[in-house]
Amino acid sequence: MVKGDIKNREAFLDKIADNLGRARKTSGVERPRWSNQVQWSVLKDHTEDQLVDVLEKQCDFIHTDLVRTNQSNLNQAIRDVIKGWNGKNVVTWDDPRFTTFGLTNQFKSWNEEDGITVNQWDASSGEESIRLAEKADVGITFSDITLAESGTVVLFSDQGKGRSVSLLPATYIAIVPKSTLVPRMSQATREIHQRVESGERISSCVNFITGPSNSADIEMNLVVGVHGPIKATYIVVEDR
Amino acid sequence: MPMHIGEKEFTNRVDKGLGDDFMRGAVRSAQGRLQSNRAGAAEELGDWDQWRDLGQEIRSHTMENLDFYLQQLSEKVAERGGHVYFAETADDANQYVSEVIAKKNAKKIAKSKSMVTEEIALNDILEENGCEVVETDLGEYILQIDDNDPPSHIVAPALHKNKEQIRDVFKEKLGYTNTEKPEELTLFAREQLRKEFLSADVGITGCNFAVAESGSFALVTNEGNARMVSTLPKTQITVMGMERIVPTWEELDVLVSLLTRAAVGQKLTSYVTALTGPKDEDEVDGPEEFHLVIVDNGRSKMLGSEFQEALHCIRCAACINVCPVYRHVGGHAYGSIYPGPIGAVITPLLGGYDDYKELPYASSLCGACTEVCPVKIPLHEQLITHRRNIVEEEKKSGLAERLVMQGFSRVTRSSKLFNVATKMAPFLVTPFVEDGSIVKGPGPIKPWTNIRDLPVPQKERFRDWFKTREKGGTGHGQG
Amino acid sequence: MKVSLFITCLGDVFYVNAGKATVELLERFGCEVDFPETQTCCGQPAYNSGYRENTKAAAKNMITSFAHSEYVVSPSGSCAYMFHEYESMFEDDPVWQEKAIKLKEKTYELTQFLTEVLKIEDTGSEFHAKATYHTSCHMTRLLGVKEAPFKLLSHVKGLEMVDLPNRHDCCGFGGTFSIKMPAISEQMVDEKVEHIEETEAEILIGADGGCLMNIEGRIKRNNKPVKVMHIAEILNSRGEV
Repeated sequence: MVKGDIKNREAFLDKIADNLGRARKTSGVERPRWSNQVQWSVLKDHTEDQLVDVLEKQCDFIHTDLVRTNQSNLNQAIRDVIKGWNGKNVVTWDDPRFTTFGLTNQFKSWNEEDGITVNQWDASSGEESIRLAEKADVGITFSDITLAESGTVVLFSDQGKGRSVSLLPATYIAIVPKSTLVPRMSQATREIHQRVESGERISSCVNFITGPSNSADIEMNLVVGVHGPIKATYIVVEDR
Repeated sequence: MPMHIGEKEFTNRVDKGLGDDFMRGAVRSAQGRLQSNRAGAAEELGDWDQWRDLGQEIRSHTMENLDFYLQQLSEKVAERGGHVYFAETADDANQYVSEVIAKKNAKKIAKSKSMVTEEIALNDILEENGCEVVETDLGEYILQIDDNDPPSHIVAPALHKNKEQIRDVFKEKLGYTNTEKPEELTLFAREQLRKEFLSADVGITGCNFAVAESGSFALVTNEGNARMVSTLPKTQITVMGMERIVPTWEELDVLVSLLTRAAVGQKLTSYVTALTGPKDEDEVDGPEEFHLVIVDNGRSKMLGSEFQEALHCIRCAACINVCPVYRHVGGHAYGSIYPGPIGAVITPLLGGYDDYKELPYASSLCGACTEVCPVKIPLHEQLITHRRNIVEEEKKSGLAERLVMQGFSRVTRSSKLFNVATKMAPFLVTPFVEDGSIVKGPGPIKPWTNIRDLPVPQKERFRDWFKTREKGGTGHGQG
Repeated sequence: MKVSLFITCLGDVFYVNAGKATVELLERFGCEVDFPETQTCCGQPAYNSGYRENTKAAAKNMITSFAHSEYVVSPSGSCAYMFHEYESMFEDDPVWQEKAIKLKEKTYELTQFLTEVLKIEDTGSEFHAKATYHTSCHMTRLLGVKEAPFKLLSHVKGLEMVDLPNRHDCCGFGGTFSIKMPAISEQMVDEKVEHIEETEAEILIGADGGCLMNIEGRIKRNNKPVKVMHIAEILNSRGEV
């Protein structure tokens, strides 16, 4: 990738150093050991099952339905949710997990039995993918990391994992493998931090998604469903 | 002055605010909800004070090393193919953004909420250049439609409007035909704005926190408009105040956790979107070109000064939501896009005492702001520091006040003078006493007695009573 | 135990009964109360208005007045807190700063002193009325005395306490704020009085002369049927009212 330009930096940063009353620091700054690490005590020692319970409770507050299922019933569980919303046009990520969880080969029967069309995100088709997502009424992704405390699914974008899938359709399903559950944001950001430290390239877009979009801009009345999805369901699936 | 809103005179703005019953009703009920949401979230978390300590420590370390972290940020953004522009002034920032847009030959700009672009008045410049700028945050959208009514709150910009007023604005300007139900108004805005997102050439966002270690920046939103703005247009420009930065993703966690709770009482908002550079080459959605504009515009003056802590602000508005002065006068009375206690601290720093010397006095110093600040900025103390600057450095306090204070100083430093003055007081006020109270006081007492009775100084002061009693006089029982 | 009374200027001149009650209350619990006569005003009105240099002389006078005291007790949370500000006021003057720290460390607000030092929660008081309590901002937020008044009042025989809605809101006094921004101050005190009326209390109790003067002044102006009393007067009452 071609390196971007940086303009006007030196004078700008010199002034900052001047006002701080010292010479410019261009290296050697280490984060201190913070005097407390209070974030790590949240939901500490919770088992995976307990974390699912926390997630389920939190879903009430974020206007999100939670369905628990196992791998053999996952296909039906998703279909039930789509049918409940009267969804006809689905867009999913191009993510190998759809195959490992036995879903990809079921899409045909969705269409034949329920008239549900499934389109997979296809980077090679360019803009057409965005258009399909815009036309879809249901978007489905897996969760990469799931935060129990806040009821959040964390999605890392890549070629097959388009940003639009969880954004443009009016309804959204996140498939949450139980093994992706962690207590809170701290575990997810630490993992990303460690990737950065080890020189790994991080996704161009990491989305922390907590339920459907909402707004309270009119008299502080909560309205669920603004620019992003209006409804959301998490399907928690046993995966080990 | 771009940051400035409304009438020039502070007192006129206050009178207008106090006379606006719609606004005051809306603000009062919003404050009630926001206060209880914040308190509930803090309580549920448990160790709220420890979280605040951690937040304060992180902010403090970051400001002390701001040059280092901004350098690291810019390197990382550039490594990922993004362009970084350091803008010393509002004009520099606006000019750079204009140039990027001109080069793209862009006509339609979709914006997600950004206070710093309000501060530098970016929209005015872009519109002058012939662009169509669409604000996509629901609150900002409402204000833009209503002939660019200025924001009155940094998180909920249209807080001063009630739903009937919003319905009327939509009706008049956009041909809206439904009711004032927030659900219907919101759905209407969704439909209007979806078209704009899909057709925008450039997306402009603000920045809640940049992450130095990876060149990322996080947008904290509920509506999803910032995701739209950073997903659909081919070019993205992000404008950030230079202090909005954290060292690593681990600190991002702490500050986002504080921000969402302090602002709206949520554990997390619906979306925290962390973007790093433009999209990858093999990705479809996301911008092909990314520009980061880092704005000083007066902030660097606070570094190394007694106001450095004001740069710790994470723009949660918790101080605004508890402020009783804000509740009564509303955001516009501050004459700045940054209202409330934090506004009264930073507006005079960014905009100067000439225009904003009244703001530091628009506080009873009740300390509610300091108590709720998630990063422990001593807001009410900073207001006193401003007052000291105005009095002692700028010599901008009025002559009458200076004379009173000099008199006060002479009397309080000397127990003899104090004794004489307090002994004389009951006799001096005798002409003004009615039914045991002073109801029409002279001179400096007048503003008090215009509203309230003033008690009459007692002829037997406490010290007289105590002295008599020590001498074995009648000091028993209640007086 | 020897206690020096820091009466505050409002207590000296306006709220003499509160001062008397404070002395009697402290004596009842075995304190030997003295009154350093050279005390004047803590300087808060000037300090909070930005006149820090003008305040230093008052501060020095107060520091000297209480130099020999074992404990300093004040029937005002706000004024007691002002003694805490002296430390930063003398940041460039180590000699006076050290004296300021000593003063701060031995200074208490009355209800704080009763509960923290004398370890008393039940003062054996009796007062028959329905009342509500106004929490002063400086006392609760800056001095950190939150529970003490409520604990003490809860033991007063015959006293029915009603919660004051939005009690954390400022009454609009704010020292010179009440004179500099009278229109805003008026709205704030009106809101406070509205909430007091909602409780249907006969008595409004407070622990700070400034707030009481403000609230009482507005109550009187509008002829509201609420009596305003200092907490010392309630705690010193033995049922004779």
